[in-house]
Amino acid sequence: MFNKLKRLSLLMVFFISAARLLYAAAAPLKVVATQTLYADIVRQIGKEKVEVKSVASPKFNVHFIQPKPSDVRNVAHADLVVYTGLDLEEWWGPLVEAAGRPEFFPGREKSVDLSRGIRLLKVPDHPLSRAEGDIHLFGNPHYVMNPENAKIMAETILEKLKEVDLPNTSYYEENERAFISRLDAKMAQWKELCSHCAGQEIVAYHDEVVYLADFLGIKNEQFLEPKPGIPPTPKHMEFLEKYLKENNVHVITTPTYFPKSSADVLAAKTGAKAVTLAMNVGELPGTEDIFGFFDYDVKTLSEVLK
Amino acid sequence: MRIRIILILCVCCLIPATAKADEIASLASQVRELTQLVKDLKLTVDQQQREITGLKQINELKSQAPAAPAVPIYQQPRPNKPFLEVGAVADVALKLDSPKVDQGGADRVSVRELELVLGSNVDPYSRLDATVAFNEQNTAELEEAYLTRFGLPLDLTVRIGRFKPRIGKDLALHRDSLDTVDEPLVIQRYFGEEGVNKSGVDVTKLIDIPSLMVHQLTVGVLEGGTGEGGTAFGSTKRRPTLYTHLKNYLDITDMTNLEIGVSDAIGSRDEDVTFEVNILGLDVTLIHYLNPNQSIKLQSEVFYQNRTESFTISEIPEGSGRFFKNDLDGTLWGGYELFDFRFNSQWALGFRFDDVELVDNPVTNPNKGDIGYSGYLTFYQSEFARWRVQFSHFDLATGKDDNQVLIQGTFAIGDHKHKLQ
Repeated sequence: MFNKLKRLSLLMVFFISAARLLYAAAAPLKVVATQTLYADIVRQIGKEKVEVKSVASPKFNVHFIQPKPSDVRNVAHADLVVYTGLDLEEWWGPLVEAAGRPEFFPGREKSVDLSRGIRLLKVPDHPLSRAEGDIHLFGNPHYVMNPENAKIMAETILEKLKEVDLPNTSYYEENERAFISRLDAKMAQWKELCSHCAGQEIVAYHDEVVYLADFLGIKNEQFLEPKPGIPPTPKHMEFLEKYLKENNVHVITTPTYFPKSSADVLAAKTGAKAVTLAMNVGELPGTEDIFGFFDYDVKTLSEVLK
Repeated sequence: MRIRIILILCVCCLIPATAKADEIASLASQVRELTQLVKDLKLTVDQQQREITGLKQINELKSQAPAAPAVPIYQQPRPNKPFLEVGAVADVALKLDSPKVDQGGADRVSVRELELVLGSNVDPYSRLDATVAFNEQNTAELEEAYLTRFGLPLDLTVRIGRFKPRIGKDLALHRDSLDTVDEPLVIQRYFGEEGVNKSGVDVTKLIDIPSLMVHQLTVGVLEGGTGEGGTAFGSTKRRPTLYTHLKNYLDITDMTNLEIGVSDAIGSRDEDVTFEVNILGLDVTLIHYLNPNQSIKLQSEVFYQNRTESFTISEIPEGSGRFFKNDLDGTLWGGYELFDFRFNSQWALGFRFDDVELVDNPVTNPNKGDIGYSGYLTFYQSEFARWRVQFSHFDLATGKDDNQVLIQGTFAIGDHKHKLQ
């Protein structure tokens, strides 16, 4: 009797273990990305083999996200995390700590720092001070705004997916190739669509479109913020009014999450056009994936810079 | 004939000389070729020697450190952030107070506190955080110094050291994270003017149950006592305070979330081993974002005390009409309601209502507690500087009223990240 029971329990343990292993093998890889654009690239490469969630809503300024307990839960249950790196998402460290997953700490084996391999713009060449505003130590961290960087990010993501999910290597590689191929074709289209933009100048609210401007050959050196992170002041608006008129600048861009009133006031005074650009996937209708996102921004700039 | 003989002799003499000259020339040529060959060989050897040296160096480097992962694309060198995160937060306040007798701190500008905040990962599994507060009395106080250990079995996270306990909402926050200039009255009266920082250990766990809500449980034990001016527990440190907090969080929509927390803390009022004080807490916070720059926050916390110590009502001194406050059924409660409206990216206004029954303050009316009404306006100058003006009216249990105007400046420098609550 005792032996029968023993055999039965061993059999049960075997079946439960096998079921768990089968479930684990079939379950998609859980990935948490800090931003929606990163989540979209992971989705493009992983497709049904991944289940992706993002932390920062595209409706909010990524600098000032306040992670919620639901984000803590998502990170706690993730297999892989993807983040900007540099010093853009200062809230990321406390979030990973709250989730209690040391393997997701920056630089660790299951965290993907997407800034690797990116050619950064505006890397400081002098000692920094907060007197210069909310300046970034490593350079401008808004590299998501250049589609060429999406290729580098895709490569970084692919390498990590292969590392953590070796059996699906060829699947991921195939999807990445398709993604890159589509991206290459779209980049050629975007450059052609905005070929007349090259050499023209825009004024942005914050220095977050410099990478897109760099991609399209647009000059962007003046911002509504007098210093990064410092809201527009009357004195600076006065300077910009003069600058726009003297330099024949017709376009002011703002993201959705900054007040548009300053841009509208300046536009009214100078005759320039104030337009809204998306800063991330899903921020505006039609920007549901990375292609729609760049379609929207490039089309907007193309039309307004005619 | 002679001439022939002479000619033959001459020829005989000349032939070897010519042959020797050719041989010498040939030898000289060979020597030149050989010299060139040696030179070439020397160059080749030198070249190979250099290559060997280079290969040796590479091998040495390879044996010293693991090979760096191949970075296929241009990677520019970047400065590294220092290991130690160091920041400082200054809290400057101007307090205009109505009582005629100055109890200290009134009608003047004071640096209430300068907090030096330090933190860093100790190793892949743990992190050390510390906060040292300097105040105007030129004293330094160790507010917090604790180690957080991550990645334990069952996904537990443990804190050990001196820290702010996770009881309710505001008690776990630093002053610079509050919506108002001062702590709610219930926190001040029960736990201390600036809340509680005590040594102990607590364990936190996310509870995995199928639910729309996120549930997080914290259980901890602290040394006994309260913060400065707190009356909930006695001052004996060896009688510990046990506490637990269950946080329940729900994303109602992308723009609205609700948090309901339940806390319980039991501790000692005196030196005996019994836990005479049981405090039950309930906190509710609803946040709704109208857009990225506008939000409404409604927050309420209530603490209910059940005290099994004996009470007596006594008039002190006799005939003075002043009584020693107590509660006949051994229960007390206090709480606050807060409304905060961020109406602009830089401006917020709000209101707080406080009502708290006191533990054992001498009062003229034993059934009356301290009641407060506070309104405030906050200006966020930048990410690192904030100004706040607050007007408070207190209807105190002593029977007196108090009006206060507080102007607060909070400034942060260096690396200062708030912990997630």
